[in-house]
Amino acid sequence: MADSLLKLDGVSFAYRGGDALQDISFEIQTGEFVALLGENGAGKSTLARICNGLLKPTGGVVTVGGKDTRRVKTSEIARDVGFLFQNPDRMLCQNTVRGELMFGLEFSSVPPEQHAARCDEMLSVFSLDGERDPFGMSRSERQQVALASVLARRPKLLILDEPTTGLDYRECMTIMDIVSRQNAEGAALLMITHDMEIVADFARRVLVLSRGKLIGDGDMRGVMRDRALLSSASLLPAQIPDLAMRLGGAFGEAFTITDMVKTVATLKEEVRV
Amino acid sequence: MTGLLDYVQGESFLHRLNPLTKLVLSFALCAAVFITDSHLIIIGILAAVLAFSAAAGTVSRSLRILSSLGKLSILLFIVQILFVRDGKVLLHLPFGLVITDSGVLFSLLFVLRFMTATLPLALMLAVTRISDLANVLVKSLHMPYSYAFALTTAIRFIPLFAEEMSGIMETQTARGVEFDTKNFFKKVRLLLPLCVPLLISSVRKTEGGAISAELRGFNLRKRNCGFREYPLRVADVLAVLFGVAVILTVSVF
Amino acid sequence: MIKIQGLTFTYKDGARPALAGLELDIRDGEFVGIIGSCGAGKSTLTYALNGVVPHHYTGDMYGSVTVEGLDTVESSPEEISRYVGSVFQDVDGQMVSAVVEDEVLFGMENFGVPRSEIESRLEQALAEAGISELRHRATSTLSGGQKQKVAIAAIIALRPKIIVLDEPTGELDPRSSRRVFDTLRELNENHGITIVVVEQKIMLLCEYVKRLLLMDGGRVVLDGAVGDVLRQTEVFETAGVNIPRVATLARELTKLGYYSGATPTGLAQAETMMREVLGNG
Repeated sequence: MADSLLKLDGVSFAYRGGDALQDISFEIQTGEFVALLGENGAGKSTLARICNGLLKPTGGVVTVGGKDTRRVKTSEIARDVGFLFQNPDRMLCQNTVRGELMFGLEFSSVPPEQHAARCDEMLSVFSLDGERDPFGMSRSERQQVALASVLARRPKLLILDEPTTGLDYRECMTIMDIVSRQNAEGAALLMITHDMEIVADFARRVLVLSRGKLIGDGDMRGVMRDRALLSSASLLPAQIPDLAMRLGGAFGEAFTITDMVKTVATLKEEVRV
Repeated sequence: MTGLLDYVQGESFLHRLNPLTKLVLSFALCAAVFITDSHLIIIGILAAVLAFSAAAGTVSRSLRILSSLGKLSILLFIVQILFVRDGKVLLHLPFGLVITDSGVLFSLLFVLRFMTATLPLALMLAVTRISDLANVLVKSLHMPYSYAFALTTAIRFIPLFAEEMSGIMETQTARGVEFDTKNFFKKVRLLLPLCVPLLISSVRKTEGGAISAELRGFNLRKRNCGFREYPLRVADVLAVLFGVAVILTVSVF
Repeated sequence: MIKIQGLTFTYKDGARPALAGLELDIRDGEFVGIIGSCGAGKSTLTYALNGVVPHHYTGDMYGSVTVEGLDTVESSPEEISRYVGSVFQDVDGQMVSAVVEDEVLFGMENFGVPRSEIESRLEQALAEAGISELRHRATSTLSGGQKQKVAIAAIIALRPKIIVLDEPTGELDPRSSRRVFDTLRELNENHGITIVVVEQKIMLLCEYVKRLLLMDGGRVVLDGAVGDVLRQTEVFETAGVNIPRVATLARELTKLGYYSGATPTGLAQAETMMREVLGNG
């Protein structure tokens, strides 16, 4: 059997530089879209950093594409794993957008002769002007440049640490559309977020972390309806599933606004008949 | 991240001393280290400072500081020992280098001074809130408040900047930048551009701080605005006398 | 009392006005939420209320802003801040002290609050923000939510009539965000403080505030009770702002003729709406 893209086996972590993790095991395969949820301090960021080798587990094994993260350099793992941090300002360090993308490509597995083409491709995907200085851009544009720089490197696994924080709805959707497209093209996604509406709209699988332990791992709709599980990680279901559960009965399975409206229509129809 | 220079909350007698006393005492101990030529006295002062740290509950931190200074000290010791050429030759080395007895003694004194002189100041910062220090400088020594504010802000920002820098390094490592390269010039070339994000975030933070301070009446502040009083107690007088005694002792011997 | 008339403001280096002919009246004791996409002028509006515009950030300003009878152009930011307290998104940047207690003392000392009052106001402010137990903690050891409450306590201690907050929960998780809003609601209901809060989290905002403003292109394009404003879904769409899912659901049900009542702003109201819809059948 082929190696999983990402595999954590009994991973624990204890160090004063991060929140502790205990005995965490899961795998992520190519093409998955996984949301990582948990309260503040649950260890989400630590776990994300364990997955790309920035932090090494103190117990257990993490492999990326079969490579043990403790045995290879982080910069080598970074060729397969893209990581978009919350704060784009920590990434952008070149004075043009194109320069930024080319700088990122320098350390990727994309062959040098393809760099310019890859850069142009990303500029058009994001509709960015390559000659602009990222310094003068808005927060959301900078986040897009950072994402473009990560995606230009063709990561097999993309880790997103609260990618939509500080963005307005429209900007948020721009980012989500682009990462979903990458996902459809085969990149696996692991996304930390607090926004349950985004989880409901995009994720297919959910990991729930609480106080350093993985307390939930399953199909998104199943987790979204598990009020007790979510609550132990300080979370609430997204509005529509929450409303559907409160109503129960015929609405039990409703998940989207369309589902709700359909159910109402059916019930009304029955009454009329 | 807890830095080595942060305030450590506590109720020890050191914590309760007047900030000015602590400032005077730590400078006195520091000065004593430089006045004396005796290894034993310096070791004595080192022991005293460690005892003070123990009393203040910060001894583990003092030892951490010592151990990190220790690494640098070994380097300094080696460099120093090769520079001193007078005295009785103990050992001949290649390239005409020699190790002499006075070289050993001088180098030892040098690193002992280096390590011991740092500790009292670090201890002072551990048991004194920077704001108290600033308040006392404004109230008693009539330092302009804006200077004191700049001082406290600078010290408060050190860990924030360190955190920001490690965040930047982390972000860059995650995009594959090879900081672990052995090529020194390549490393410098990779590190230099990182000054940009650090500068930007620093400017943003200070800008935010300035607005927030301005809106809370920073410009209205006068010297006597400070709420806290810093009376001199018997313990303060004793501590200052102790400092004076140490200085006198080392000056005589 | 806040009265803004025909306010147009262009930052010194700005290409276009950040605020364009903005009109706004806010009465004492209101709890007002402001939403809008990035660049709609929300932050600039908060700056106009606390005097940062035009005193700290300069530029071309037309129209007038009056806060508690003070004209913000003629008054200094310090005079204005006797009435208006401000809290910002960057929890670290807005701190000036290393210890919680000092952070709260800072403003009181500067404004010359009488010595005899300081201790009681300090305790009260910490209690109202729900952080009495953090009094002696180093600010660097606090969580984001705790830091934001310290910032709020530092403002409450100054007894402002109005508190203006610019995305105070931007960096916080859902539970901490709710706790910050609980504190705001408490200050509004029990102490009569006028709250003006800019926020991206529409669902949170709709649950707490009484009056909602939607900004777009430097103007207030919608203004009213939350439920009423949420009905105008096309305006929200144009402004690039989403509305709570339950409000969208209400719109769909209304379109199909199943529902004609008020737009729900939260889950409880949505539940009532659904029962009404089904009961009518």
